Amino acid sequence: MHKIAEIEIQHDIMVANKKLAKRNQRILDKSDVFAVDVLGAIGSGKTSLIETLIEKMDYKIGVIAGDVISRFDAGRFENHNVPVVGLNTGKECHLDAHLVEHAFGDLPLDDMELLFIENVGNLICPVDFDLGSHIRMVVISVSEGDDTVEKHPLIFKDADIVVINKVDIAEAVGADENKMVNDVLILNPDVVVIKSSLKTGEGIDEIIGNIENFMKE
Amino acid sequence: MHELSMADAIVKTAIEVAEKNDAQQITEVTIEIGELTLLNPEQLKFMVGVLSENTLLEEAEIIIEAIPIQINCKSCNYEGPVPSDDLDHFVPIVNCPECEGQDLEITKGRECNVKTIKIEKEDEDA
Repeated sequence: MHKIAEIEIQHDIMVANKKLAKRNQRILDKSDVFAVDVLGAIGSGKTSLIETLIEKMDYKIGVIAGDVISRFDAGRFENHNVPVVGLNTGKECHLDAHLVEHAFGDLPLDDMELLFIENVGNLICPVDFDLGSHIRMVVISVSEGDDTVEKHPLIFKDADIVVINKVDIAEAVGADENKMVNDVLILNPDVVVIKSSLKTGEGIDEIIGNIENFMKE
Repeated sequence: MHELSMADAIVKTAIEVAEKNDAQQITEVTIEIGELTLLNPEQLKFMVGVLSENTLLEEAEIIIEAIPIQINCKSCNYEGPVPSDDLDHFVPIVNCPECEGQDLEITKGRECNVKTIKIEKEDEDA
């Protein structure tokens, strides 16, 4: 004889990741490391921006580089002589708190002040996964089209800093960078929005200043 | 394809609970998905099915229930549900239904919850 039983589980998979994320933040806080989750589309300039920040910011910096496959980005950061852990997500399109916790084991957290976590290039999947970072910085560029913000609203809701990158080529690609700034502010009036160009250096000091402001909070 | 990692976590959760309860098989799993998660229910269902092969979950019916969006509006203090349009995948832009504002806190609709399972087990009293 068999009997059928209904079992109440109520296990929220999102909450499970959030718990791990909180634990990650406690680990970071214990070592006094401020972490920035850097999100954005493929080709928006995340890697180049982090490289620029490593060169310009006067802190002991480490990087977690998320890639679907390969150590391409991790290799770029290593050229700047900072500790780097490359995380391959395989078929996955985002980092999660569990993967990031694993990476902590390979970083000299006690000898670091600032950690950049470069998420996988994607404006959708990473939104649902907190990593335990202190802030989220979303990087998009004018070359993705000036309707990018309207098309992917949720990623901007949770952002602390939004960088509209490559504004030097806005005219050439027919994009209105001010529209992108306004679209972000409609969705999230509290967020810091910065127009930048790694070619001309526009906005870089402002990005650094804002990260430092968050570090002081 | 973040449905894959979510499906993996769902399958593991369901099987773990089933094993703890000495189940011979799972006949039904009910999953709640918030309308604001960027998860496609059909893809999720498909992935759970693929990952269930040769497990206690193989024969189970997968039921997906949507959790409607709820907000607190920071502009007009509206608290409550937000009507979402009937899209085949969930990426609505949320406006406050009272003041049309977008400066709001989302209080519900971002869950991915394994709610219940139904299991079949030996009836010890038989």
